[in-house]
Amino acid sequence: MEYILDVQDIHTFIGQYHILQGVTVRVPRGSITALLGRNGAGKTTTLKSILGLTPPRQGNIVFDGREIQGMLSFNIASLGIGFVPENRAIFRDLTVEENLKIAERKKGDYANKKEFIFSLFPDLKRLINLSGTNLSGGQQQMLAIARALVADNSLLLIDEPSEGLAPVLIEQLMRSIRQLSIDSTVVLVEQNFLVASQLAENYVIIEEGRSVKEGKMKDLANDKATIQHYLGAA
Amino acid sequence: MKLFVYIRKNLTLLIILAVLATLFIAAAKGMDSKDFVITLLRSLSVGSLTFLVASGFSLIFGLLDVLNLAHGTLFMIGAYIGWTVYVRPDTFVDLLAPLVLLLSGFLLGDIWIMLSNRIRVGERARRILPWFGIFVAALILFSVLKQYPIAIWNVGDYAQSPVSISYLASQGQNILRPPADMTGFSPFLGLTGLIFSSLLLAFCLVMLKSGKQASSTRLNWKNFVGYAVLILAGVLFFIFNDLLTGLLASINTNWLFMIAVLVAVASGVGLGALMETTLIRPLYIRPIYQLMLTLGLSAIGIEMVRAIWGRPEFTMPRPELFAGTGEGCPATSLAGWWQYHCSTMLVMDGRIRVFNEIFIPVIGVIVLVAVWMLLQRSRLGMIIRAGVQDREMVEALGINVRRVFTMVFALGVGLAALGGILAAPSIGLSNLMGESFLLNALIALAIGGLTSYPGAALGSLLVGLLQQFIIKYGQIGIPIPFTEIIFKPSPPIVPAATILLMVVILLILPNGLLGKKE
Repeated sequence: MEYILDVQDIHTFIGQYHILQGVTVRVPRGSITALLGRNGAGKTTTLKSILGLTPPRQGNIVFDGREIQGMLSFNIASLGIGFVPENRAIFRDLTVEENLKIAERKKGDYANKKEFIFSLFPDLKRLINLSGTNLSGGQQQMLAIARALVADNSLLLIDEPSEGLAPVLIEQLMRSIRQLSIDSTVVLVEQNFLVASQLAENYVIIEEGRSVKEGKMKDLANDKATIQHYLGAA
Repeated sequence: MKLFVYIRKNLTLLIILAVLATLFIAAAKGMDSKDFVITLLRSLSVGSLTFLVASGFSLIFGLLDVLNLAHGTLFMIGAYIGWTVYVRPDTFVDLLAPLVLLLSGFLLGDIWIMLSNRIRVGERARRILPWFGIFVAALILFSVLKQYPIAIWNVGDYAQSPVSISYLASQGQNILRPPADMTGFSPFLGLTGLIFSSLLLAFCLVMLKSGKQASSTRLNWKNFVGYAVLILAGVLFFIFNDLLTGLLASINTNWLFMIAVLVAVASGVGLGALMETTLIRPLYIRPIYQLMLTLGLSAIGIEMVRAIWGRPEFTMPRPELFAGTGEGCPATSLAGWWQYHCSTMLVMDGRIRVFNEIFIPVIGVIVLVAVWMLLQRSRLGMIIRAGVQDREMVEALGINVRRVFTMVFALGVGLAALGGILAAPSIGLSNLMGESFLLNALIALAIGGLTSYPGAALGSLLVGLLQQFIIKYGQIGIPIPFTEIIFKPSPPIVPAATILLMVVILLILPNGLLGKKE
């Protein structure tokens, strides 16, 4: 199997705290892989470590055949990794259009992709001149994902997309993520197991900073004991 | 409906602005139209200079979270560099060749990174070798520059100090010194020494940066073009030194002033970039150290200026366009001023200084609009606005935030240097001019909102208005109603009132008038 992302035994510190103590994640190209685990297990730190925002001190990360640990985060992102953070990180003082345009890596990215983006998130077209401050939580989430789609990213790191959203919006979001995974590989951090199990083909469970289990999502969905043990939900 | 929502959302701000406007109208009514116009224009002048310092400071703080306490000193350095180009073009031209040659080595950055990555030495040697190289480079530089012919003033001799030179220049006398020759060794050896020390210095500084750094994997001729151009420029500056000096000394002072402004701004930009990349960058994770560093740099800057230009205050002659006093002056209209190049002009029977009260505010407005356009209409501006809110996310989009940081720092210092060179012919040059403007700028930013660009403009305007109106009322007095008493505010009331305005506004709106909640 060809892996687009191969994270091997990374150790990350934030200040003096040893947050990741050996995380291994292998992401097959063209798949959706969910990182599962309880609050504070290290899922978000794993995404940030991949992107170099919290650089790992040990371990190895290979993206698309290239070692990326130790590189600066803007260089890593430029290789084709899009990031949708947990807090959405919409630029409040920028309009929706500016929030999308800023993600261009080469001139014309936005113009080329906007049709696709608006087909995924039709609401954004209507809100194009509104500033980020005036968007609802759901609209911000759509914009955050849309922003990651502007440049040619072959890997999307999406952190807690369903957090704080109404069920109807979660449905819409899931449809969009499924659709965009046709062209890109997705690593999804998701607390809501129902959402994760419906979207992802593979999973990695992270507990107390260590990856403890990985496999096919359809197997996990039938393994109530594992779900109960690691995720506290059945 | 939208208006109603806006009013409800910004009620406190609108009330404060209404109170300030009422105070302004009351202050205006208390004086005759002549005094009012003069005071208003002076306010705009002070406001513009304050804005040039405040806007740069605000941009830097907003994006980089760096409180650059050396900003005032950089404002002052801009003034002194501009003065040197304008009054002593011979010194400026003499400095060009060594400066350009010294900078040349740094254009080979990628080559140094590759070379540094390829050198296989132990960890200890990697730490020691660069310092040894820097020491050798400094030694070579010192011995070359000691002999290098730079026509400079003498701060120890009053007759040759900047004070006397400025006075003579304002009287139209020739103050240029005859060209000197390189003594002790041949020019070829001197220039080679400069080039070699530049290469060594650049390489050692790159090597000092710990760890492996990314560089372009392949080198091509483009890496060498910039270097070759600088070397050529340096050698040409050396060869045609006298010709260039003669040219600058003979051109119209308006053009010379424009060159002085450009050089001052370019120096500010260069100093800012150098400061950010070498000193500020390693301390982003230690804000307190950063604060101490900028404070220390401010003190060092002031002492360096004292060592080079001396302690006494001196003036800078105004360019011809603003220096006329003869026939047709004071001008009664802009056309009259243009025709006779008058230093003063009559506006509603009041005499105003064209450079101070018209030119500086005009430049202030141009800069305000230009930087506003840059922030609102360009991609760089978009990145700056986004970076002020969330640097990490901007980086996660694949944008080199470090480079943007350097550019913003350089832009901010460039604006301060522009303020300095504009202030020089207006208020003269002194070692403490930067500190007073920095204080004004900090108060203006606290009033307007620390990271708000329009806030910097509004705060600077309010500071200018308040200070100038109080100064004016110090001369004409304020009649106390129902009494015979005329109250004349004394000069110490000026800073006290400015700080009082800041305190009152901060008590009501802790983020300033246009600041956003942090």
